[in-house]
Amino acid sequence: MSVLTLDTASRWYGNVVAVNGISMSVRPGVTGLLGPNGAGKTTLIALMAGFLAPSAGTVTLDGEPVWRHTDAYRTIGLVPERELSFGYLTGRQFVRANAELHGLVEPGASTERALATVEMVEPAERRIGTYSKGMRQRVKLASALVHDPAVLLLDEPFNGVDPRQRLHLMTLLRQMGVEGRTVLFSSHILEEVEQVARQIEVVVSGRHAASGDFGQIRRLMTDRPVQYVVVCDDDRGLAGALIAEPSVVAVSLRRGGGVEVSVSDFGSFAVRLPVVARGHGIRILELTPTDESLESVFAYLVGG
Amino acid sequence: MADPSVATPEGRSVIHDLGYRPYTGPRLGSGPIARALVGTGFRNTFGLGRSGRSKVLPFLLLGLNLLPAFIVGGVMVLVGLDELPIAFAEYASTTQVLLGIFVASQAPVLFSRDLRHGTISLYLARPLRSDTYALARWSSLLGATLLFLVLPVLVLYTVALLGEMDVSDQTADAAVAIGLAALLALSLTGVAGLIASWSTRRGFAVAATIALLLIGNGIVTAIQEIAREEGQPQVGEVAGLFSPYSLYRGLMASWTDVETATPPTSTAMEVTYLVVFLALSAACLGGLVWRYRRVATA
Amino acid sequence: MNTTILRLSAQALLGRRRGVVLVLIPAVLVVLAVVVSILTDDEIGYESVANLGFTLALPLVALLAATAVLGPEVDDGSIVYLLSKPVSRHVIARSKYAVAWAATMVLGALPLLVVGLVLDASEPRQALAWGLGAAVAGTAYTALFLGLAAVTRHAVVIGLLFVLIWEGVLGTAFAGVRWAAIGGWGREVAGEISPLVPVVGTGLTYAVVAAAFVSVGSLWFTGDRLRSFTLRGDE
Repeated sequence: MSVLTLDTASRWYGNVVAVNGISMSVRPGVTGLLGPNGAGKTTLIALMAGFLAPSAGTVTLDGEPVWRHTDAYRTIGLVPERELSFGYLTGRQFVRANAELHGLVEPGASTERALATVEMVEPAERRIGTYSKGMRQRVKLASALVHDPAVLLLDEPFNGVDPRQRLHLMTLLRQMGVEGRTVLFSSHILEEVEQVARQIEVVVSGRHAASGDFGQIRRLMTDRPVQYVVVCDDDRGLAGALIAEPSVVAVSLRRGGGVEVSVSDFGSFAVRLPVVARGHGIRILELTPTDESLESVFAYLVGG
Repeated sequence: MADPSVATPEGRSVIHDLGYRPYTGPRLGSGPIARALVGTGFRNTFGLGRSGRSKVLPFLLLGLNLLPAFIVGGVMVLVGLDELPIAFAEYASTTQVLLGIFVASQAPVLFSRDLRHGTISLYLARPLRSDTYALARWSSLLGATLLFLVLPVLVLYTVALLGEMDVSDQTADAAVAIGLAALLALSLTGVAGLIASWSTRRGFAVAATIALLLIGNGIVTAIQEIAREEGQPQVGEVAGLFSPYSLYRGLMASWTDVETATPPTSTAMEVTYLVVFLALSAACLGGLVWRYRRVATA
Repeated sequence: MNTTILRLSAQALLGRRRGVVLVLIPAVLVVLAVVVSILTDDEIGYESVANLGFTLALPLVALLAATAVLGPEVDDGSIVYLLSKPVSRHVIARSKYAVAWAATMVLGALPLLVVGLVLDASEPRQALAWGLGAAVAGTAYTALFLGLAAVTRHAVVIGLLFVLIWEGVLGTAFAGVRWAAIGGWGREVAGEISPLVPVVGTGLTYAVVAAAFVSVGSLWFTGDRLRSFTLRGDE
């Protein structure tokens, strides 16, 4: 049982911030790392796998930093997004080389076990260059599993894999989570994550937007009112009109101008606001959500 | 307007044509495509239109290549020589290592990357034949190599003219040097391009090209020196046929006043040098065209 | 040393086209020596052939070997498969170096000894001098180029610039370059062994210490760079 911990970890390249002050604990079981393309998922996994130094903060595995800590790889199995370029080796040779590099006592037996786990025993004698994308993905997984790691990190494992093999990979991951391994995989597709992991970590633009049980987050999103500030040419008029709307839970006037609105149903509010404003002859100058991170997660999770 | 009920037929579904249509306007043919490809390829050879880092090497090499020419110019001004200390044609021979590195390191930019990353199919999906593609890439590299060779000659020529040397003499010499440069550029472009299109690994292509060019030249030079010492210059003459650099040196010795170890002595030999030079270039170009034809049909 | 890495590196080195070129370079050199020795009587071609082998063939073999064991893997990022293992980075560097070094010795230094014997069998000491000088220079070249391959994708070009421009062009123009030229140190060693090889004048001690320093330093640097290997996304 191992726990990967990030403590306000950041990573920036020049003046581009890829990961921004993220704290999270990845515990045993399957965790889905969810976020749109370019959100910093690969950077995060590189940080967790010790292939990137955090610019600030720490990344630790059971209390030990992973950067420049070679022994951490006894515990970590990594499936990078990077393609295999060992096309001239057979699947078995490649997995076996990984077993030997881990210094396993019985590399042969471990190789066969890992190949069996991913159901790649039969094509293991063929050269990797002849494999399909899904087979290569499974050989990569076998090479990461060969030393029976407590922590398994997978970067976009389902990319380019056909639906049947995807299903198989998903079953495998779930099974490993049940076995008590700490499994973290990244994806930008909500449905994929939903099928494998209950625990999700949402990353948006390098920030940790949400964490926890998938269903609970979704409920939090819809139950919790979203705050907006509306600037218009008639604050009181608009406040009065909005409170009549069923999607609005509270309205207050801000000192110095502007109306603060708490909205329970974001969708219908978006439709109603312009209608109400026009009906009362009010000009809206500005509409700002005050809880931006929540907004982005919400839009993302609810399929915006 | 037609009957609006057609748009929402009762009890039936319909998919409407929203008007997405393919482009049906006039298109440019393969000529302008090839011209655009040659232009971008030429710029890319110097790192223009690519990242800042990829500009460093070509411009560093170009700078190093021009440095001696400017130094010569400076010396001319300071000392007031009435003759250039280095002949126009001799310049390329002196800086042949730089030239070799330039061609070897920039050829993969044009010939390896599209093959390695499979982007070649994007080009061939246009109305562009694989032959045209190969020719366009080759022309880009040829242009860049020529520029690399001709710029220092132009610098020296300018220096000579500013020093008020005999205009007709200098012009004639410079013209011969540029003709020789064209021959050298043709053959080097072919060799480097062919190797780069066969090896899709950049580093490997660079090393293999350099190995072939410089070791080939080294061997020929060694044989020529030995032949001269042994008093058998005809062996050296024949040996000179086996490397682009020695072909260049041989013709340079025939066409200018520069002296080399074992220059071709007979007219027949001179013609042979010229023919081999051109045949090598043509063979490499043919190889390139063949290579890309195979890629296109594979 | 790690036998698995040794095996994989040897496969990367000798497999595929790179291996052919690696073998071709010394083969051509030896053939040249044989031809020259048949066609000429006394040791006329010795100097030029040995020089060719020492200043061009040897560094090229070292460059190809050193970049072959590390370059492609760093280039396409597949080295993460090797690095995500509990193997000391210095062991990885040393194992890769061992393979490249062995190739440089067999395909770069040994051919010089052979060339020397072919060209003048009556002076085995001179041939030995070239061979040992090449072994010293090859040891340092390989380490330096391996270090280059660990930091930059342009290791081949930078290595070529070092050998051809710095040691070659500038080395002939400025005598001072000899203090920082690996080829020069090798020649110094050769010159100490046989008076028939001209020394460059750095002194044997300096040459040996400098070559050892560059070798050990580059090797340590390679291991350290591998410890800090950074995984980048696809570009």
